[in-house]
Amino acid sequence: MRLPRLLRTTAVRFALRYALIYVLVLGGALAALMWVEHSHIDDRTRAEIESKLHVLVLAHDNGREAEMIQGLRQLQAGAKRDDRLFLLVTAEGARREGNLIAWPSEQSITLDGRAHLVLIEEEVVPKDLSDSDVFGLAVAWMFADGSRLLLIHRDAEAEQLLEITDYLSEVLGVAGLLALPLSLSLSHTMLRRMDDIGRTAADIAAGDLARRVPVSERNDEFDTLAARLNTMLDRIQQLVRGLREVTDNVAHDLRSPLARLRSQLEVALLEPRDGAEYRETLGHSLDDVDQLIRTFNALLGIAQAEAGSASNGWEPVNLDALAHDVADLYGPLAEEKGQTLDSSDRQQVSILGSRDLLAQALGNLLDNAIKYTPSGGQVGLSVRRIGNSVELATSDTGPGIAAVDRARVLERFVRLDQSRNLPGNGLGLSLVQAVARLHGAELVLADAVPGLVVILRFPLPPGNRAA
Amino acid sequence: MHILMIEDDARAAEYLVKGLGQCAHVVDHAADGDSGLQLALRGSYDVIVADRLLPKRDGLSIIRMLRADGNRTPVLVLSALGEVDDRVAGLRAGGDDYLVKPYAFRELLARLEALQRRQPAPMGEALVVGDLVLDLQCQTVKRAGRLLRLQPREFRLLACLMRHAGHVVTRTMLLEQVWDFHFDPQTNVIDVQISRLRNKIDKDFELQLLHTVRGAGYQLGEAS
Repeated sequence: MRLPRLLRTTAVRFALRYALIYVLVLGGALAALMWVEHSHIDDRTRAEIESKLHVLVLAHDNGREAEMIQGLRQLQAGAKRDDRLFLLVTAEGARREGNLIAWPSEQSITLDGRAHLVLIEEEVVPKDLSDSDVFGLAVAWMFADGSRLLLIHRDAEAEQLLEITDYLSEVLGVAGLLALPLSLSLSHTMLRRMDDIGRTAADIAAGDLARRVPVSERNDEFDTLAARLNTMLDRIQQLVRGLREVTDNVAHDLRSPLARLRSQLEVALLEPRDGAEYRETLGHSLDDVDQLIRTFNALLGIAQAEAGSASNGWEPVNLDALAHDVADLYGPLAEEKGQTLDSSDRQQVSILGSRDLLAQALGNLLDNAIKYTPSGGQVGLSVRRIGNSVELATSDTGPGIAAVDRARVLERFVRLDQSRNLPGNGLGLSLVQAVARLHGAELVLADAVPGLVVILRFPLPPGNRAA
Repeated sequence: MHILMIEDDARAAEYLVKGLGQCAHVVDHAADGDSGLQLALRGSYDVIVADRLLPKRDGLSIIRMLRADGNRTPVLVLSALGEVDDRVAGLRAGGDDYLVKPYAFRELLARLEALQRRQPAPMGEALVVGDLVLDLQCQTVKRAGRLLRLQPREFRLLACLMRHAGHVVTRTMLLEQVWDFHFDPQTNVIDVQISRLRNKIDKDFELQLLHTVRGAGYQLGEAS
């Protein structure tokens, strides 16, 4: 079924449509030429050739046949010999006189003595007069004895035009013949590239999300399309992976506290207890549920940031003011741990984003910094405009994170061994990363020697860049 | 307080009606959007609690109809939709507060009570709780005539608590009203803020004014 499909392609349709337009235009041009020729031959020429015939016919009918033949020969001997063609044939059609080889088969030759435009096939014209069809004004007559006389006044210009159109129609024929195979081969190429995309789509639909459309080195429109599709597929895969991780992690992280909660309540109901005991159990359960809700909210927050689109409810966020507010909220936490929180290094700059998500991300970074920095340490928060980007950074004088572990800590629920004894759910940095990604920002973990620097690098829109 | 509860989850509604009843509130319950709107238009309620996704008519539509009718009853929107945009949509439709499921009952209660007495103290006036006086104009705080030195955020925190004096203010309410943050900080930042504030206003005094209400939040002064 390969060929029928090829024939149905857009390329073939286009090729055939072009061929049709070509034929129509050429046909139109031809018709116009003929029309111009018709009107070109004036009435004087008509009258002249008709009267010539009349004279000859009169001579013949008056029994002066010899005079007629003489007249014919005089015509032939005229100034432009090949301009005038004539033929006299017997009733049987045998040639008696004239410079044509035989009576033409042309149907439009009427034996009524009136001038008509005719096209005479080249076979009846001697080679020395013309090597192609002859076009001109013809008059013909049939005598009482059945013999016929034909006079033709050639129109050389029209013949040339006819020759050109002949040639054109040959070209047209060849072009028409070539159109189909050419368009078929074109379609074949296009189909092959489309099939690549189609196959990839089918594979992905079948569940193989890692498949990508092949991109060639030609860098043509198909490659552009393929590259764009691949970018889209990357994003989709990333979202799906995020979603899968969330569900996995929700199951993982909520299962054990739910089990604990359940058994706690079950045990409480095993035997009658006094009010104080019930209150205590319920209080514990409430704490557990609160913790569950916190984890749940954190996961949802990450999912929301990851699935978010860049413009939903976004507003200009003054990072300077935001950093101030977040530092204001977390400051006492640092002071309580005997640390100093320095947020004085701030520049005035705004970006488009979600204030709540950015605040939450910054809060998580500060929370981590405060959590991992020993008493007496320093925690820093800064907003700096560097070139065409803004860097929102937190720094601490804690133990830092070894280079090998830096990528790993961004994953959900990953907690390095030294932090197992500290409170937390291992979701903080994942949220930061999701928020960064949503805002098109880069998240960089670096060494503060000693300690850790976490930088959120936001690109500044062109209109917002420093002069 | 006369409350209209528009909630299609029968079990949730039952607990809410029971819980609010035990806190001395009278609750009418509607199980779908249309009957909820009818009740809201007919009755005179102090506060309306409306779920967002309801059969027949959604919560936002109820609020719009009420507001179009000139009804200014405060509405708290309950929703399982917790994205920033959803909250904004809820408030834009004319809702007065927005609470995302799963929520704590104490949170709901505190917010409903706050909505009922929602008349922000005019600027320039002083807030007074017992012998604690907060002067909004001069930005000063005195207790028993003694000037207390508070940082700006402690001042705002105290002002917020004093406006709701005698009532529970939850951690999220403080986070929203003092810092304008609408997220769960996953850490005890508010508790630390409160303990520092408590150090300044209660430490040297016999009578403790700032109380922690277990499982709910904080309360300044005794219940009125």
